Amino acid sequence: MTTAWFDEQRRLSPDELQSVTFPMSRLGRRGYEEAAVNGFLRKVHAEFVHLVNERASLWQDVQRLRRRILAGENDGGPQAVLFGEADAHVHAVQILSTAQVTADRYVADAQAYSSRVTEEARRRRDDIMRDAQQNSDMILEEAHTRAREAAVSALNVAPPQTDTERRALQAELAYLRTYSSVYRAHLRAYTESVLRGIEEWERKDAGPQREPDSFHEPALGHADQRSIGY
Amino acid sequence: MHGDELPLFFYSDLFIKHPEVRDLFPVSMATQRSHLVDALVKIVSQVDSVDDLTAFLQGLGRDHRKFGAVAEHYDAVGASLLATLEHFSGPAWTPELAADWKAAYDLIGSVMITAARADEQLRPAFWRGTVVAQERRAFDVSVLSVRPEPHMDYLPGQSVAIECPNRPKLWRYYSMANAPRPDGLLDFHIRLVDGGAVSMALTSDEIADTELRLGPPVGALTLREPASGRDLLLVAGSTGLAPLKAILEQVTAFPRPPRVRLFFGARAADGLYDLESLDKAAAQHPWLTVTPVLSAAGSGFAGETGSLPDVVARHGDWYGHDAYVAGPTDMVQETLARLTSAGMAQDDIHIEDFGWSEP
Repeated sequence: MTTAWFDEQRRLSPDELQSVTFPMSRLGRRGYEEAAVNGFLRKVHAEFVHLVNERASLWQDVQRLRRRILAGENDGGPQAVLFGEADAHVHAVQILSTAQVTADRYVADAQAYSSRVTEEARRRRDDIMRDAQQNSDMILEEAHTRAREAAVSALNVAPPQTDTERRALQAELAYLRTYSSVYRAHLRAYTESVLRGIEEWERKDAGPQREPDSFHEPALGHADQRSIGY
Repeated sequence: MHGDELPLFFYSDLFIKHPEVRDLFPVSMATQRSHLVDALVKIVSQVDSVDDLTAFLQGLGRDHRKFGAVAEHYDAVGASLLATLEHFSGPAWTPELAADWKAAYDLIGSVMITAARADEQLRPAFWRGTVVAQERRAFDVSVLSVRPEPHMDYLPGQSVAIECPNRPKLWRYYSMANAPRPDGLLDFHIRLVDGGAVSMALTSDEIADTELRLGPPVGALTLREPASGRDLLLVAGSTGLAPLKAILEQVTAFPRPPRVRLFFGARAADGLYDLESLDKAAAQHPWLTVTPVLSAAGSGFAGETGSLPDVVARHGDWYGHDAYVAGPTDMVQETLARLTSAGMAQDDIHIEDFGWSEP
């Protein structure tokens, strides 16, 4: 086993090319030792690749700078041209624009959400009002019917000898008593059911209150399900 | 090129070069960008009619006072406008073109600044308005009473732009709902528009005692020839009532008021949020007739049922009347169409579109 006479870690220099020597192969054969030559060739190859790449990249730089200088009658003079202030500004404008559009979308989303919530509230309110109206109509109707029946039976049980006026008043009284008690009973039952409804609604409402907070998430790349027409 | 890119570049360029200008604008710039493009399109399309263009620019200059725009901002805006045009023109941009644009912009800017300076002599950039009373009339309608400082002169039927402290830089127009009064207070009828940022803030309970900003009074829905004595037809949909109520108050003070027929329409009974005071006025003044109209039938309702334009058209011949119509977009347009097709002259119909639609 031979140790390489050149350092594989260091970069190859022109001097090294001039002064390179290889050990003779052993066992009396002519020529250099094969492993040493191969190792050296590997190093030369790596150096070549490196140089070619470096050259291409430098050439691009030169071209770009040349173009800028040719176009460079900017306010900032050649220095601004070389340091790329114009590019940096356009870049900053683009960053700010993206940030603004993102903010706009969040505001639009929040507004769309609030719009949906109000619409929903409006619809629920209309439903509740309609139910209440129907219920109150029904309660009134039933109270009237029951009271009418009570009045008729009061007329029937009244002694035949009393005068007409008294009988009429008794009937009226029976009507009103029944009407009022039926009405109150229904009203109490209905009011209680409405209160229960409201309590239940409030309980439900206390649950899913997290959604508005999601607008605060600092999610720039956040896939947006609520985006509205931009 | 996408239509939004140009204004987007313009505002970003402006805010990077002059960060202090950002404070003059609302959080969301989406509407602002389309305003900019609209204004530029209008300016370019009117270049040949100098008088119209000058009037437009003067109005724009006066209008920008309430936003806090000052002369220095005009230079900043001009520089960013040129930078934007250069960026999007590419190789087509030449020094000559730049000079032409700069000259044009300087002219525009100077017309706006001159109009704004002249306006400074006449009135403040904005009025401070303290909410002294708030009354919720329906679940989505509030009546606010606002004390402006300094005193504000206006014509009944006019409106002002309002900015609310917790919705900075968002201005929305609302009509004064009363004729000028000795105490100087202004009434506003605020309807909660679904998703409306400003109306939501103005109808919330926290609005009491806050200080709003009010722009100068504007609007042409004012009584034409107050002394003509012609009969009036007032058609109000929802809070479109506000400017018409101010006009009604105005004619009430006339020595010989004209005959007034007021139609007040809403979707449901509680939308007729001001019927009580209107009925009271009708009982007091023989020359006033108030007809409430509901679009949906409800039990126990004494007024008319049907769409407001239908009901108005059904009530006969409005020839010889001056008509004033205010409310939701659809209702205003439909009423206008019905009245003109019934033979009323377009000139006799005055409208104010409140810009939202009934759900």
